[in-house]
Amino acid sequence: MHTVAATHDESKAQYFWVWGALLVLTGVEVFLAYEQFFQPVRMLEVLMVLSVIKAALIIAYFMHLMFEVPFMRFMLMAAIVACLCLMCIFFADAMRILSLGVK
Amino acid sequence: MASTEIVHAHAAPQGFIRKYVFSLDHKVIGLQYYFLALIAVFVGMGLSLLMRIHLIWPTASLPIFGDIKPETYLMFVTMHGTIMVFFVLTTAPQGGFGNYFLPIQIGAPDMAFPTLNMLSFWTTFVAFVVLIAAFFVGAPLHGWTGYAPLSAVPSSGPGEGLGADLWITSIALFCAASLMGALNFITTTLDMRAKGMSMMRMPLTCWAWFITAILGLLAFGVLAAGGILLLMDRNLGTSFFVPGGLNFTGQTSFPPGGFSPSTDLVKHNGGSPLLWQHLFWFFGHPEVYIAIVPGMGVASQLLSTFSRKPIFGYRAMVYAMLAIGILGFVVWGHHMFMSGMSPYSAFAFSIMTMAIGVPSAIKTFNWIGTIYKGRVRFHTPMLFAIGFVSLFVSGGLSGPFLAQPVLDIPLHDTAYVPGHFHLIMGVAAIFGIFAATYYWFPKMFGHMMNETLGRWHFFITLVGTYSIFMPMHYLGMAGQPRRYSQLTEVAYLHPLIPLNRFMTYAAIVTIAGQFIFLFNLFWSMAKGRKAADNPWEATTLEWTTATPPPHDNFGGRTPVVNHGPYEYSVPGAPRDYVMQNDPATAPVH
Amino acid sequence: MADAAVHHDIAGVYEPSLFGTYSKKIGMWLFLASDSLTFGALLFAYSYGRVSNPSWPTPFGKESIINATIMTACLLSSSLTMVLGVLAAHRGDKIRTRNWLFATMFFGAAFVLLHGMEWSKLIHEGMTPFTNPWAPSVPQFGGTFFTLTGMHMLHVTIGVIYLGVVALRKKFLPVLLLLWLIGWLATPASNVFHLGVHVLLIGAVVAAMVLFLHPKDYDSHDVEVSGLYWHFVDLVWMFIFPLVYLMSTRV
Repeated sequence: MHTVAATHDESKAQYFWVWGALLVLTGVEVFLAYEQFFQPVRMLEVLMVLSVIKAALIIAYFMHLMFEVPFMRFMLMAAIVACLCLMCIFFADAMRILSLGVK
Repeated sequence: MASTEIVHAHAAPQGFIRKYVFSLDHKVIGLQYYFLALIAVFVGMGLSLLMRIHLIWPTASLPIFGDIKPETYLMFVTMHGTIMVFFVLTTAPQGGFGNYFLPIQIGAPDMAFPTLNMLSFWTTFVAFVVLIAAFFVGAPLHGWTGYAPLSAVPSSGPGEGLGADLWITSIALFCAASLMGALNFITTTLDMRAKGMSMMRMPLTCWAWFITAILGLLAFGVLAAGGILLLMDRNLGTSFFVPGGLNFTGQTSFPPGGFSPSTDLVKHNGGSPLLWQHLFWFFGHPEVYIAIVPGMGVASQLLSTFSRKPIFGYRAMVYAMLAIGILGFVVWGHHMFMSGMSPYSAFAFSIMTMAIGVPSAIKTFNWIGTIYKGRVRFHTPMLFAIGFVSLFVSGGLSGPFLAQPVLDIPLHDTAYVPGHFHLIMGVAAIFGIFAATYYWFPKMFGHMMNETLGRWHFFITLVGTYSIFMPMHYLGMAGQPRRYSQLTEVAYLHPLIPLNRFMTYAAIVTIAGQFIFLFNLFWSMAKGRKAADNPWEATTLEWTTATPPPHDNFGGRTPVVNHGPYEYSVPGAPRDYVMQNDPATAPVH
Repeated sequence: MADAAVHHDIAGVYEPSLFGTYSKKIGMWLFLASDSLTFGALLFAYSYGRVSNPSWPTPFGKESIINATIMTACLLSSSLTMVLGVLAAHRGDKIRTRNWLFATMFFGAAFVLLHGMEWSKLIHEGMTPFTNPWAPSVPQFGGTFFTLTGMHMLHVTIGVIYLGVVALRKKFLPVLLLLWLIGWLATPASNVFHLGVHVLLIGAVVAAMVLFLHPKDYDSHDVEVSGLYWHFVDLVWMFIFPLVYLMSTRV
């Protein structure tokens, strides 16, 4: 066994905490959505923030990225997040379809 | 812990099948990739010849294909582009030479995942077979970029039915294969460098393959998503890429009372062809760098070796390649200036595209700095490396023009753009492949390639390709459109016919020249002069091992690296070069 | 082999890995990076369609939302059992590892089952990849829904098979074939899963090829790597659930 795995081996409890937090966050999401708590755009923002928190918890604890070397953490996350953020440029054109009235 | 098994703990495989067909050895797989690319390049080249002939003699009946209808011409365009981009420019430099030499150059006995490596090749092979199968059912018309809605509606034209399904299946398989290859390359580079081979001691070829693999890893996943959606559009009737109101019945006049939505119009609406272009070019632009970056690595390696000088600015070269890789992801929109994309994003893409000029210029000046005052040995590989730099510059110079929307819009659908990308992405990358072939042939096959034939090949190819592609810029500025099959009857293009004819003759000569290469390749394998272990007096690790390298590359030992990759003409050293695994006690300065 | 690089008993031969861990894990992470971009692109395509089609339907009522919430809870719990399985594997406790993997597979299978029922219900209501009863002018609704959730369901199914292979090796093959047969017989011929269940058969063939051509004892590293894949599937659902379901809650 390499040493990295051993350092966080003992803390089984943290996984239960993370699991609980994920369930609670899911509950909050469902509640907000079901009660139509916000306007759709604000709702999207809130849901995405909550989802990113959930994803971060999964990546950090369940996928052990917290316990990997910093270089790996940084490279993987930077690459994925940067690429995904870039795709937001698509929306300029999706909006444009609306404003130009092309269907 | 059980996985500490050594890949090469097993003996070298016996028997033809395990040794040459389903081999796990990265060297055999590299050669398989190389020969696949060799077959593909001759198919693609044949198609380009047919296109060039058709352009000047549109009524001529061609062998096999007979009379060329416009759709046949577009079929050639599609298949030429797809074969060349995927199965030659992606396959040969990365799959072929990368597979063969990345592990050896970093001192590893094999790739990190040999089985995955084998799977990667065979998936590529199946993808190629599927693509070729499209010929027999009528190949698609939509070009290698597969623009929707042409590619998304089976009834949109001949070849857009089963042929386009085969095309997109082939691309999807190629995505999977490239993904396997890419993660293998990255893991190998991260994990399996010999002792002393720090990242900053890797040859620039390894850096190039590593960066290419990262590009492939991040780009092909997006193309896979686009491919899934395209298949859904074609076969399940979804409308991701197809807007409403399309009529593919072939009726050219507007019928009285309008088209009938139930019979004349395709049953799609609400989709956006722009979405496909975004998804495609998100992959497509990094793909351009997947083709050219390995060539940059090879050129750097060869210019240094044959000038007997250290590479000028090693770190700058590495950072420039990284910068090109990163910028390659933020410029895809410059392929879409004509598409009705938001002008605001077009502006951003334009700026980022011109920024690529900076690292490209760094590389070019460093290459020139490397040759400057070197004791240059003009062997064939060196000629091709110099040719690479020449083509990279002349092809690259038209880049900043096309990067500006105002210039791109008039030039985009003309021959200017094919001229640009053939020089920089096509021929420059091919020169990288040729340079690598001539350079590493002795290591791969144990014989030298014939120098005289090599020189003939070089000069014919250099002059020939410039003669084909340089005039394309003028044709484009004069307004000759691209992708059109018959131009001879168009009055305003009449003055351009002699130039077109000259280009076709140049293409015939250039293609004939490639048979010199083919002959040289196979003749030298059997009859070439026996090669020494280090015929070019180079420094990197592949030249320290036997020729051809044994099954585990270094015959049971693992090299220890004490030197950087390009220590030539070191003052005080016994020879004019210091190999990477020479003892550290050798005087360095 | 590459693992030799991190195990310093053979150290000195290789440079330490830049990612400080063994090759298989790096390979899986890289695959997941690529796959996350595939899913990311699909989600962006969905969002693109949604933004450009303002009359997007919001048909998911109480029943669907409750169902999807239970599915989410299933996946989250499966991630917990998975991570406990990895812990047990690191401790060398084979029995417990296997049991945790079974629990994970159970939750995963429950997810697929619930999702399949949801699909069947929607199809019954008239939703297809190109039409939906709620907004006839927005055919993208069905297309994006089935593409996104279908891709995800496929990933979950592959994950269950993967975990089964790691937990049971060759003994998993008859189980898988039995599942396929049950699934095939239990679905009426008109149901989409009558065809879709053949994914299990394909999975069985691939698993058999892997198991017979490359037989080996799966160790704690393999469990950890399969766990990475499983958590990723979970993670993707964390975005599909709010974007596809919660943003389409019926007013």
